[in-house]
Amino acid sequence: MDQSWLTVFPDNIRSLLVKLPPTLFTGLEEVRIREGRPLEVNAGGRYYFLTPEGGLTRDGGAAFIPGKQEGNRLLDLITNHSLYTMEEELRKGFITIGGGHRIGLAGRTVLSGGKVEHLRDISGFNIRIAREVRGIADPLLPQLLDFKHHSVYHTLILSPPQQGKTTLIRDLARQISAGTWGHPEARWPGLKVAIIDERSEIAGSRRGVPSFDVGPRTDVMDGCPKAEGMMMMIRSMSPEVLIVDEIGRAEDAEALAEALHAGVRVIATAHGSSVEELSSRPALSKLFASSFFQMYAVLKRTEQGAAFRLWDGKRRRVQDPGWKGREEHA
Amino acid sequence: MLKMLGAVLVIAAATMAGWLQARQYANRPNQIRKLILALRRLQTEIMYGFTPLPDALVRIGEQSGEPIKSIFHGAAKNMNPPWNRTAQDSLQTAIEEGWRFTAMKAAEKDVLKGLSFNLGTSDRKDQLSHIMAAVHQLESEEACAREEQNRYEKMFKSLGLLCGAFIVILFY
Repeated sequence: MDQSWLTVFPDNIRSLLVKLPPTLFTGLEEVRIREGRPLEVNAGGRYYFLTPEGGLTRDGGAAFIPGKQEGNRLLDLITNHSLYTMEEELRKGFITIGGGHRIGLAGRTVLSGGKVEHLRDISGFNIRIAREVRGIADPLLPQLLDFKHHSVYHTLILSPPQQGKTTLIRDLARQISAGTWGHPEARWPGLKVAIIDERSEIAGSRRGVPSFDVGPRTDVMDGCPKAEGMMMMIRSMSPEVLIVDEIGRAEDAEALAEALHAGVRVIATAHGSSVEELSSRPALSKLFASSFFQMYAVLKRTEQGAAFRLWDGKRRRVQDPGWKGREEHA
Repeated sequence: MLKMLGAVLVIAAATMAGWLQARQYANRPNQIRKLILALRRLQTEIMYGFTPLPDALVRIGEQSGEPIKSIFHGAAKNMNPPWNRTAQDSLQTAIEEGWRFTAMKAAEKDVLKGLSFNLGTSDRKDQLSHIMAAVHQLESEEACAREEQNRYEKMFKSLGLLCGAFIVILFY
């Protein structure tokens, strides 16, 4: 397993983390460091505090408490000793480190003209450990195939946060790009894929090069606002499939409509727990009115991995016989 | 004959000592000037290049020449893997290790150490003001150093020779 994320921790915290039970360590999702409060780790949807001896507890009083020094050291290391190169990231509230791991930050904001200009006195860190799960899209991809056009349907993937949307579309990008359709009748080659990776989460790019396998025919526009990135990609990189994470603003919807006219297929994700809920969001309602998406997938994480429910463009539940059996525990 | 040789040796040694001391006085303002130029380059790297601190220090060290080079390179080495030390820690260690090879004095060391507390830990505007403050302090030190050079450089050169001659006369 990639353990590059361990190197950003101060020695004392790192030594606690490596003492974790191996099953917990490999399933680790988040490490939360809050100055003056217990050190927390999250795995499999549960949380634990760490004791100074490396044990697990739920009692905050018995836990290891990171101080100012640990926070400063962590910040120094995740910014490569150069906070000034991260002004844009601080404005957004997170920093992506090598390996695609994202570190969320909380502190005091400095405002300028009512907008967040800078983040200072950073005292809260959330290290989200990114994992590449190859094959997580296997059950979904055959459902999205457009046999008539030898492509994929316009698809919107919905789920609440922390359910694995990003992991899923990363694998979709890889498989679409490689042409591993997972269907016996789908015999066309891989497609040109363009990823607009606003938060550097899908591809985990470092210096413009993806850290994750996103497929051989995939271009990544890293750290780019989605609406602008989509237009740039359509104009310059002639993609066949566009992949974007977390759409939700009016300009995203406009850019998506533009992609439709350009004949580019789009796979996007959005926060939400049902199609109805999302269609009531004002910024996106236009997209729903024009029934832009041909397929909606609602994602839910289960013990075994991910489970999907599918609706088609007219919001009818898709019940595929070959699909149904795998649906709940895919 | 042996006495003569000894006398020559004493005079040569004393002259050399005076000359070395004089060179310290001549080198100090030059090195401060180099340090100021290096900090100005650092400012450019930070403000316009968005260069990460370790890379910037290596690049500037390359351009600055010894003894600044070894301090900057040492600091960058401490910051990078496998050491991964903080910027403050790295810079201070490098200053402690490299300072004895410079002609600069405690005042300049304090300025640079003061800068190490802030380098890399704030936004560009803040970095700019810290670097500028350090540059201004160094400039006033430079002025002092030049004055001292004018006053003492020649004096130490002749003082060495004269001391040698004095000792020889005393013992001859």
